[in-house]
Amino acid sequence: MSASGSVTNVALRPWPTSSRDKLTPLEIHAQIAQLTTERGHLRYITEESLQNEIDTGTDPSKVAKNDAKDDKEKGAPTRQERLMEIQATGRNMYTKLEWSTFWTSNMIDLISLILSKDPSKRVDGAFSARFKEQNIPHGSYGLDKGSSGEENDKGALTREAITLEKKKRRLVGMGSRMEALDKGIDDILAAANELETEVRKETRYWSEILSVSEKGWSLQKLRKDAPHSPFAVHYGFQEASDHFKARRMAPLRMDKDGGIILDPALSLKPKTLRVRVTADNKVLGTAALPPTGDLSDLGIEKSIQLARDSLFEEELYHEMSMERRQLGSFGVQLRDSCIHLPVPDLAGGPTSKTILIDLVARDERPVDDYRAMDTGDHAEDWLAEKTAEALRTLLSHEHHMRGHRRAQIPPPLTQHRRQNPAPPLLRTVLTFFHHTSAVNVLQKYLDRTTEVLNSAGLVVSGDIVRETSWAHVTDTIHTSQASELSAVDRLIEGVLKPFDGVATLTLPSSNKARPEQINVTIRTYMGAPIFGAEYKVTLPPSLGNVLDLPVDHPREFRFTSTPELESYLDWIISLDLAHTLVPREYGARAIIADMIPPRVSIWTKEGKEGIKKDLAVELERGIIKLNFGIIQTAAGPTGGGDFSWDGAQGAASFREKVKEFTDPK
Amino acid sequence: MHELLLFGQVPQSRHEQVLKILAGVAAMQPRAVLERHLVYKPQREPEEPGSHLRRGGTQAIAMKTKAPATARDLYFSQLVNSLTRDDFDRDADEQAEAFVATGESAADAKWSYQFHETPDTGDRGVLVRLAHNTELLSGDPHSYMVHLGNQYVSEYYLEGHRFVHDNIIVLLHRVLHESGVRPAPGVSPNTALPSFDSLRPLDPSGGYVLEAKIRVQDLNNPNVLDAGIEELKRLKSQMKGCVELNVPDRLLLDTRVKYKPNLGPSAGARPAVAPR
Repeated sequence: MSASGSVTNVALRPWPTSSRDKLTPLEIHAQIAQLTTERGHLRYITEESLQNEIDTGTDPSKVAKNDAKDDKEKGAPTRQERLMEIQATGRNMYTKLEWSTFWTSNMIDLISLILSKDPSKRVDGAFSARFKEQNIPHGSYGLDKGSSGEENDKGALTREAITLEKKKRRLVGMGSRMEALDKGIDDILAAANELETEVRKETRYWSEILSVSEKGWSLQKLRKDAPHSPFAVHYGFQEASDHFKARRMAPLRMDKDGGIILDPALSLKPKTLRVRVTADNKVLGTAALPPTGDLSDLGIEKSIQLARDSLFEEELYHEMSMERRQLGSFGVQLRDSCIHLPVPDLAGGPTSKTILIDLVARDERPVDDYRAMDTGDHAEDWLAEKTAEALRTLLSHEHHMRGHRRAQIPPPLTQHRRQNPAPPLLRTVLTFFHHTSAVNVLQKYLDRTTEVLNSAGLVVSGDIVRETSWAHVTDTIHTSQASELSAVDRLIEGVLKPFDGVATLTLPSSNKARPEQINVTIRTYMGAPIFGAEYKVTLPPSLGNVLDLPVDHPREFRFTSTPELESYLDWIISLDLAHTLVPREYGARAIIADMIPPRVSIWTKEGKEGIKKDLAVELERGIIKLNFGIIQTAAGPTGGGDFSWDGAQGAASFREKVKEFTDPK
Repeated sequence: MHELLLFGQVPQSRHEQVLKILAGVAAMQPRAVLERHLVYKPQREPEEPGSHLRRGGTQAIAMKTKAPATARDLYFSQLVNSLTRDDFDRDADEQAEAFVATGESAADAKWSYQFHETPDTGDRGVLVRLAHNTELLSGDPHSYMVHLGNQYVSEYYLEGHRFVHDNIIVLLHRVLHESGVRPAPGVSPNTALPSFDSLRPLDPSGGYVLEAKIRVQDLNNPNVLDAGIEELKRLKSQMKGCVELNVPDRLLLDTRVKYKPNLGPSAGARPAVAPR
């Protein structure tokens, strides 16, 4: 319609000639068909008519159209035509409306799609049905704001302005590029720096870890979720009691410089055991304490070692204070966190001392009541020192034994839970002190008695074994090789048992060929059933006869205190002298008279009548007293007298004196 | 006494590794275990199953009879002699003529009598069986067994390592046997030990068995039993990925003496059944 105007200006050109002259039959058919539609039947198309056409400049195909148009314009529009025109215009308008609706809905879809990026906007309802069908994902279309610069170009800018603008832009571009490069270099440098510090940090951390490891501490890898402490050090004891077992490990964290941060567990104030000996409120000796020093700045290995030592000492103190509760009856007390352990005089004397055990911080010496009493005397340092060593050895042994017990086949499960007995630490030390004291008292007595008997010309010998198991120490060590326990542990295990000492004293009446002995067994245990030292005296058969005991009597007598034992032994020896030795010398002439004090009567021929001479022997506190009793003569009682031996050499012998008395020249 | 048990298998190639892992788990060094097990069974043959049930009619006057006693099961039992490697390489003249049990206390007894019943049928997640263990401190263990009415069947050796993890006794072991002809039942065992090198593993691949055991005094106390089972299961989950501990079929540990029908000519009309 609208094209009709422009068509009129179009110049008709001939058909573009084919490069080939020969037409294929198909093309010829097409040509003929075209000619038919344009000019009618082929029969009427002649050269002439065509020439005519060219001459007149008419084109039959166009002529037909022009004719029709001319007809319309020429004729006035009829009503029919007018209606047609209105309809056409209506249709046209409708089409345009359709198009505008289409574009609008497209626009809405687009905007909704852009908005759909924001999840807070609800755009689902805004999409057209057609759009929804395509299932385009939300937020898949982005929009960026920015000036294209096109508008400025479009604006009326002069040429200079454009070049200036371009220059400016180039400068800005260059500037920002330089800035970016600068920043890039800075970043790289920072990264390099960080890498370097990181490497230094790691190197330092690992070298410290290595040095810790080389010192023999066992390291353990921690969980993966602890980023700054991949390792932990084990410094506690595997077999420590539960409370202390939990403290046996500390993580090794890395600080800013890569050094190892001291864990709170490691930086605790290390403690140490202090053992002092006091008597009469005077400190007589102190066990050597570890050297003091500034503990704030120490190497990690040293800190670990201190923590380990402290842990051990703390456990030792803890175990002792627990054990103390059972030992109250032996005078062990806890006052002001200080364990008081009474010690009898080891030499057997009457004086006694007290050992004070407390736990003090390693780097300070707390002042307490006893500080003022420190006389600076070191006479008993050895005792304090050995006690501390013994206690530590015993706890260490207990650790070994816990491991050993754990490895034994457990008993069947029952309702009763197995519980570990408290280790005997103080008890062992206390038992040892009491046993030593008891044995020493006995030794002293035996020495004195043998000396005085020997001085009286009676050959006796005394011997004492302080602890029977110590007599076979080497055997113990040799046999332990087959056992699971080490020799040291086996040795210490022997100490934990009750102590057994054996003393022997030959009887003055026995001869050398068949010596008869009094056996005294000393058994010490600070607990049931003995609660201290106990002496068991075993008499030889000859004394059994003297005492008129039945043959099957075990001839064993128990004593719990030293005075009792000494007085009994004194009596038994005097009895042996009076009732065995003298009758053996005098045969039937001797008549046993009395037992307390041991007395014997000897018939003597003096003149024509026999007279009975009484003889009493008494051994007391290292002195033999020979009492010549009153002689019953016809003329009445006469004579009598005393003689005593106190161990001085050169005196007349017992036998001589008796002979002198009974058969005076 | 009862035993709660779990078993696992360890191929020989992983034996060293498992040994080390177990040492870490139990926090102790392995204790070598070497035992000689002598297997005995009662001299009496087991009765035919169902033989106590009355067959056919009877002409006896109906009277009150006791309910027929059920057939008693007969069980194998064992003598266990714990040995060391040194015991093997002795000269023949050094070895004793007869078995002699020695020991001061149960802990260092060399000989013990063991009896295990067939495991219980209940499914508790672990195997439960009645067990008896008596340490023999003196006398001749073999003649003791014979006079109890047993006869010697065979013997085997057990070699391995023991760990103790709290209440669990873990035994990683394998069974060895003397290569050669087995002595016929009734013959007394050889008092002389063979050389250790002549012993061959029963499993030709040399694989090991991991036995985890908890002993329980009394099954009547459910708390104790549950605690034991719980502990075993904890070990099981702890060992997951290293050794799979599980419950074997209870009949694999059957210690009952099987009934074998007499196939001799005196068997009469009884149809011959091939012994299993």
